[in-house]
This record gives sequence, structure tokens and C-alpha cells, in this order.
Amino acid sequence: MEVKDIVDLKTVKTNMNAKTKDEVLNELAHLLLENGYITEIDGFMRDIYAREAEGQTGIGNYIAIPHGKSAYVKNIGVAIGINKEEIPWETLDGKGVKGIILFAVGNDNEGANSHLKLLSLFARKLGNDEVVKDLLHSNSSADVMEAFA
Amino acid sequence: MKIVGVAACTVGIAHTYIAQEKLENAGKAAGHEIAIETQGTIGTENELTKEQITAADIVILAADVKIAGRERFEGKRIIQVPTEVAVKSPNKLIEKAAEVIEKK
Repeated sequence: MEVKDIVDLKTVKTNMNAKTKDEVLNELAHLLLENGYITEIDGFMRDIYAREAEGQTGIGNYIAIPHGKSAYVKNIGVAIGINKEEIPWETLDGKGVKGIILFAVGNDNEGANSHLKLLSLFARKLGNDEVVKDLLHSNSSADVMEAFA
Repeated sequence: MKIVGVAACTVGIAHTYIAQEKLENAGKAAGHEIAIETQGTIGTENELTKEQITAADIVILAADVKIAGRERFEGKRIIQVPTEVAVKSPNKLIEKAAEVIEKK
């Protein structure tokens, strides 16, 4: 598997019109539920917000990486949303965010090492300015996947 | 100069690896040799070798949690920051590291 295989076209949404963090997180969490990554919205969101409370997940450059380990995660994965307008978010550079990468990782990752490894390489790419630029300019799920290729 | 470091965040899924990428890119862009070990959910990766640590002019610890194997860096110059500093201002952090070395 390659890093871009972490991206599931079914859990990517571009040209979103969300106005708030809650709205975008809810939409992305629903994609994760519909595609079998998580077992429940409420429990998963509680765990995501628990991490949000610990510190900023907006890493600058209009990107946010909400994440947390959650017992409600069945399969490791990510949901990616590209929003048309900036959404207010707690960020390191004080700007809002347009690209939201919601990580789904379980508490017990026994036997999931190859997936976790892929996820770490995926996360690493978010530290790369070129990748981020391509990601933010994505107009389709395929563009998003290509940004990580 | 030669830089080694460790990145480790609380959850060990995201910031650790973003910090690694940003530091390595910033270090290389400034013309340094740099290697960053990650300690995350998956465990330790890109583990620093004894030779790398011995040869290093400075150690950067970008960590929000206690890192494993800190004793490996005993006697070395260490800069310790939260991961978010490495994520937010990698270039400044590398510059700072260079300054510390020059003052030696």
C-alpha cells in the first residue's frame, strides 16, 4: 500500500460550505460512520473534542488535524473536508482553516501496525508545504488523493 | 552542522510526524544534516543511532510528553520545545539551534 491509499474517496468532501468547526466535524464524522470506520457519532465526537480541549489542532496554513483515540473507531482512517471559506478554529498562526483532516484511530491497535505506519507517513505529508498547497486547491476527491501521491 | 532530535506528542498520531517533516525540511533547507526520531502510537521510528548522536552538534527535542531514552543525549546541548513550536516555526527553531552552537 502507498500513503495515498489512506485516503478513501468516499470519506473526502470538497467544496464544502460549512460555517463552523462543529458543522464540519459532524459532516466528516457522518462520512466515517457511513463507510464503516466508526461505530457511533456521539461517542467518537466526544473523544475528538477531548483532544481539541487539550490544545490547538489547527497547525497553520489553513489546515486542522482534529484527532483522538476513540473506542468508537472500528477501522483506522481519515475523513478530509475542503471548505470553500475559512472556518474559525484554534490555530497556531491565528488564521482560520479550510482543509480539515479528521483522524480516526482506535484505542486498541493490536494488529494494525501496517495501517498505523501508513497513517504516520500520511500525517508527515501534512508538514509539507507543497502537499498542503495542492490539498487546499483540490476541487474533487481525486484531487485530494493526488495531493498525497 | 549536525542536528538530531526526537518528536513526540500526546496522542502520537499527528503532531509527532508533522513536526518531524517540518524540522527535517527546515534543517536541510538551511544546509544542515538532520535526523529526527519519532516516538508515537506506533512506537519508535527512525531511531537515532549512537553514531548519529555522538556526531551531533545539538539535539532538538520537540515533545509534549516524556521521551524515551533521554539519557542517550546526556552531555549534549539540548533545545527542548513543545511540538507546536516545531510545527509553527521550524525555520526559527533551526536558526536558534545554529545560534546556540555558534555561542559555544
